Amino acid sequence: MAIILGLESSCDETAAAIVRSDRTILSHALAGQEDHHRAFGGVVPEIAARAHAELMTPLVETALADAGMTLHDVDAIAATAGPGLIGGVMVGLVTAKALAMASGKPLIAVNHLEGHALSPRLVDADLSFPYLLLLVSGGHCQLLRVNGVGDYNRLATTIDDAVGEAFDKTAKILGLGFPGGPAVERAAALGNAKNVPLPRPLKGADEPHFSFAGLKSAVLRAHETGQYKVEDIAASFQQAVIDCLYDRIRYTLDRIDAPAALVVAGGVAANVPIRNMLEGLAASRGMRFVAPPLWLCTDNGVMIAWAGAERFAMGLTDGLDFVARPRWPLDPNAAPARGAGVKA
Amino acid sequence: MRTLVIDTATRACSVALFDGKQLLAAQHEVIGRGHAERLLPLIAALPDNGKADQIMVDVGPGSFTGIRVGVAAAKALGLAWRIQVHGYGCLSLVAAMARAQSGSQAAVDVIMTGGHGEYFFEAFNDTGHSIAPARSVLPELLATVALADHVAGDIDPQRGDRVWTDILPDARAWAHLPDDHALPPVPVYGRAPDAKPAAVRA
Repeated sequence: MAIILGLESSCDETAAAIVRSDRTILSHALAGQEDHHRAFGGVVPEIAARAHAELMTPLVETALADAGMTLHDVDAIAATAGPGLIGGVMVGLVTAKALAMASGKPLIAVNHLEGHALSPRLVDADLSFPYLLLLVSGGHCQLLRVNGVGDYNRLATTIDDAVGEAFDKTAKILGLGFPGGPAVERAAALGNAKNVPLPRPLKGADEPHFSFAGLKSAVLRAHETGQYKVEDIAASFQQAVIDCLYDRIRYTLDRIDAPAALVVAGGVAANVPIRNMLEGLAASRGMRFVAPPLWLCTDNGVMIAWAGAERFAMGLTDGLDFVARPRWPLDPNAAPARGAGVKA
Repeated sequence: MRTLVIDTATRACSVALFDGKQLLAAQHEVIGRGHAERLLPLIAALPDNGKADQIMVDVGPGSFTGIRVGVAAAKALGLAWRIQVHGYGCLSLVAAMARAQSGSQAAVDVIMTGGHGEYFFEAFNDTGHSIAPARSVLPELLATVALADHVAGDIDPQRGDRVWTDILPDARAWAHLPDDHALPPVPVYGRAPDAKPAAVRA
């Protein structure tokens, strides 16, 4: 059985974790940077990079100590090599390169999105390829067919904002604080989703893609009228997101030979009403629904170590000259989505 | 006592392995960018993968990314080999190199490329020690600084009455630093991040 150390530093979480290929999590160290960024209302890349540089090595030491191990006990060292904020990615990747070189262990450069995409297999040993994955985070909103490690078909993507981005911007507009996802979900629980008329962008459209920019703008306009409670806007926004996701996923399911499981991953998968909708949709299609526990949905080192374990099992390792990638699509062959630009 | 020296704070990417103060092996390349890709292969090309009893790393000021690459690698190597990691100042090494090259013990001022068109400036006395911490200054301010007779660094001071030595830091010159040069292995950025808090912006 292989033991993999995984490092994550692509946004505002610094993390190190050790995972064994039999799905045992041996340790899991994580330091959030919310306090560093709160005053700015969002993640500032240079501040994030500075914090990663300060925190990464101590977290590796913690992960090793918590697992009762030294580097000699580890079989390979995995790190997020992109996509993400490049200054932070470089800190984690260079740390992993140095650990790998000094200990004589192989380096595994992990696509952060593959970390999310494979994390459901860590907690569900019965989840086999292929599966349909909804990847929803602050930077992405994609529907993917996961055929295997490193093998993805992107079926749909957002043509503008990521769904997590829409949550963060809505939180900022409504003054709900940072990070926005949990803040909007909490406020929404206290509001009435029928009180504020908001659009459902691309609902019913004869294309598979997602769109959330217009919804965010409608939230801004609704808030500026002064006639709605913040909680009602939050609830109506969240319901509009759910309606859009439901409609768009159903569009794709109607047109493909659906795999046996519908899987959700990424930070927005921590949103409970969205999970509930997906669970119902899967059930109505006779699909199994798999969602990682909430803590595994947001960025962490465990999913990077696990993706490293999956790649290591296939003999996939990387050189010390691996170049960090700010953009790194899971399906580089996907046709461009109309108007999607670089986010596709 | 072996020392691995790592310098990635500027356009140069250089590593050196010393036994005491005797240079055993080194690699020095002026690459501009891409330190995160070059650094570990350069260290791996040193004897015994660069394994040493202590690590000295350039902590800046200089390129934000370059400093982070060097410090992150140094700390990780220190963890893996269970050895001490120390820092040294980027401009201190340039000053030491200038003194060694000229053979003079006189004071020297160092001017290096900074961020956003600014320069890092630091003055060193006749023992090679810094008079005041490096500051980031606007180019036009240099005209108002009472420069020493000898100026070093990668910025030409454009002052014909001063001797200028064009120098980028080079790990091979580490032994020229004053004996008490060690700093904590913590980046010295020399400039705050550009972002301003929302309240300040408004």
